[in-house]
Amino acid sequence: MNPRSRWTMLLIFGLGITAAAVLAGPAGAWLIHPATSIARDVRSLFYKAVAITAFFFILAEGILLVAVLKFRAKPGVPPAKWHENLRLEILWTAIPALAMVILSGPSFTTERYMERIPKSDVQIEVVGHQWFWEYRYPKYGVIFANEPLVLPAGKIVSANVTSIDVVHSWFVPEFGIKMDANPGRINHVWFNVDKTGTYEGQCAELCGVLHAQMLITVNVVTPEEFERWIEQKKKGA
Amino acid sequence: MEAGTIARPLSSHETAVPHAKPRTGILKWLLTTDHKLIGVMYIWLAFFFFSVAGIFAMIMRAQLSAPGLHVVRPEVYNQIMSLHGTFMVFFFTIPIMAGIANYVVPIQIGARDMAFPRVNAVSFWMLVPAGLFMLVSLFLKSGSAAAGWTSYPPLTDRQFSPGPGVDLWILGLHLAGASSILGGINFVVTILNLRSPGMSMLKMPMFCWNVIITQTIILFATPVLAGALTMLLTDRMFGTSFFHAQAGGDPVLWQHLFWFYSHPAVYIMVLPGMGMVSQILPAFSGKHLFGYKGMVLATAGIGFIGYMVWGHHMFATGMSPGLRQFFSFASMVIAVPTGIKIWSWLATIWGGSIRFKTPMLFALGFISLFIIGGITGVWLALVPFDVQVHDTYFVVAHLHYVLFGGSLMSIMAGMYYWFPKISGKLYNEFWGKVHFWLTFIGMNLTFMPMHAMGMLGMPRRIYTYRPEFAVWNHVSSLGAAILGIGMLIFVLNMLLSLWRGKPSPPDPWAHLDQNRTLEWTTTSPPPAENFHTIPVMR
Repeated sequence: MNPRSRWTMLLIFGLGITAAAVLAGPAGAWLIHPATSIARDVRSLFYKAVAITAFFFILAEGILLVAVLKFRAKPGVPPAKWHENLRLEILWTAIPALAMVILSGPSFTTERYMERIPKSDVQIEVVGHQWFWEYRYPKYGVIFANEPLVLPAGKIVSANVTSIDVVHSWFVPEFGIKMDANPGRINHVWFNVDKTGTYEGQCAELCGVLHAQMLITVNVVTPEEFERWIEQKKKGA
Repeated sequence: MEAGTIARPLSSHETAVPHAKPRTGILKWLLTTDHKLIGVMYIWLAFFFFSVAGIFAMIMRAQLSAPGLHVVRPEVYNQIMSLHGTFMVFFFTIPIMAGIANYVVPIQIGARDMAFPRVNAVSFWMLVPAGLFMLVSLFLKSGSAAAGWTSYPPLTDRQFSPGPGVDLWILGLHLAGASSILGGINFVVTILNLRSPGMSMLKMPMFCWNVIITQTIILFATPVLAGALTMLLTDRMFGTSFFHAQAGGDPVLWQHLFWFYSHPAVYIMVLPGMGMVSQILPAFSGKHLFGYKGMVLATAGIGFIGYMVWGHHMFATGMSPGLRQFFSFASMVIAVPTGIKIWSWLATIWGGSIRFKTPMLFALGFISLFIIGGITGVWLALVPFDVQVHDTYFVVAHLHYVLFGGSLMSIMAGMYYWFPKISGKLYNEFWGKVHFWLTFIGMNLTFMPMHAMGMLGMPRRIYTYRPEFAVWNHVSSLGAAILGIGMLIFVLNMLLSLWRGKPSPPDPWAHLDQNRTLEWTTTSPPPAENFHTIPVMR
């Protein structure tokens, strides 16, 4: 193999890794188990975005790869002279613009779904502190901190999120929920967890030295277990 | 001078100013107003801070190579993480673009110097104390600023960051900002007024277009950052409450002001690099740049729309729905002019006669990586998806595909392309290519897995992480080590070539009989005042 084709092979290898990693990495790792209707919608939006942008990705990287392989300087082969083509330029402006308009449709739909808070079954308040979370159930008069949040499965939960000190962000990946906890503001989110189980998350906005230790655990239990737990909590507290 | 006339700069083509005898030694550098020497000093200073910030990155990747390590303490991690971002943005990428532009732009437009040579020297010399203030703050007992390069209050308020670290950070950024603004005025005036006779705006090299658009962005955006920094300083020092919720202020206001500057700053960091790539691709494929006018319009379009998208950094702050949709759509629209540039570059090399010299490899690498950063950028413009991965490693991956795959690859392309011109020496092509391949592979190994970490839910800016993210972090740290080796090779190659490289002809890249930009028509390095007679364009 002469040195030139060795470089070519290396280039193909490099681009191949890139392409494979782009496609395999996120696809395999994506939200393993969306646990709420919102997270499911986010995932399906993501798939739509991947489908639409993959076309442009493959086209652009493909043209690059072919050009690199095909148009290597050869003695006696002069480069082409053209450097304009209005029709082509209009085409590659219009088509991506159209794709963006199409993609904004499902994005706005999902966004509205996340933003319209339905009538909720359980209301909680989430308060960020350096470096722990305080949870309150106003209807039951239950307040606690530094232990797992407990919620009923299959019920609509609405949360008011705020902070007592610096900016934090309440983030549980499987719920598709991330909401900043700003001092002086109250933000609202809602979700409905399908299945019982333990879900892990953590603070997503840098909040000081122990930001990495500001973990979130949510125990989602059956509505009956939830009732028992909250009664116990009312007495025990 | 008559009223109403504007003094013609000395560097117009009639007057070659006879000089007092040239200075030598250290004074030559300290007192110079020569755009070439200032450009070279910018490049050295930028690479100094690149090394510092790069070492910080290596320490971070060492700390994160496995969960639960104690390479550095959490408070130290937060400091070097914050300074990594700050140095890479304000003391490497922006200054090195200014440095290369300083060297190249006056020559490309056929001028003898910048319009305001002394202001040019002031711009550079302000940057030195600015960076040093921040670097020194690391050695304070209370440490440096540690709230990320974004420094969101209330974390940066006196109550939560009591030491002088944040004050020095503000001071450093104020100086760097003032330096940028002066540089911006200088570049805009230079390009508008000092072009050689016959060089109309639409005959300018593409790099000059990218520089003037970038510098215009700097002129409009940087004062807003300066205002925000002043508000933060008075909150800390004099008890005002711009960002104090308990006294009627709002921390989210800082985020708006900060990103009003810092989103355009992404284009400040990327557009000059795109300009370099637009010079390098034609040079090594033997063709003209495809769609010059479309490229100019696309660059201006990016610069303009770039002002209307800052809110996409704040989708999780509880912003009003209508506003989120506006910022979301505006951010998606940016993909269109960016796409125009990518298609035009592809059309430039298509049908060419491509020579794979190191600058060309980096330029091609730039395209392949920037496409990825652009596509994840479109995904991040979608509010629901952004909320999912905002402030996670997915965003870290995206921004490094834009700023490493974009800015740094183009800077490297530019460094190799103009190194023979600036130093008068040829670099070692073999080690240049080794540097490219280590960088390209190391870059993907480092940052590609971060997409997966982010999707799994690993937040950014944490000094340690839950065990489920371990696999991806091992790979990423391995990639970082490869990157580090590549960069060492780069430094050695440059230093050894400076020392004993072969002398470079005026145009080491000459091939066929291409139309070349003006810097290649003069000697390497160019003489004082660049040209013996000012070239006239026809």
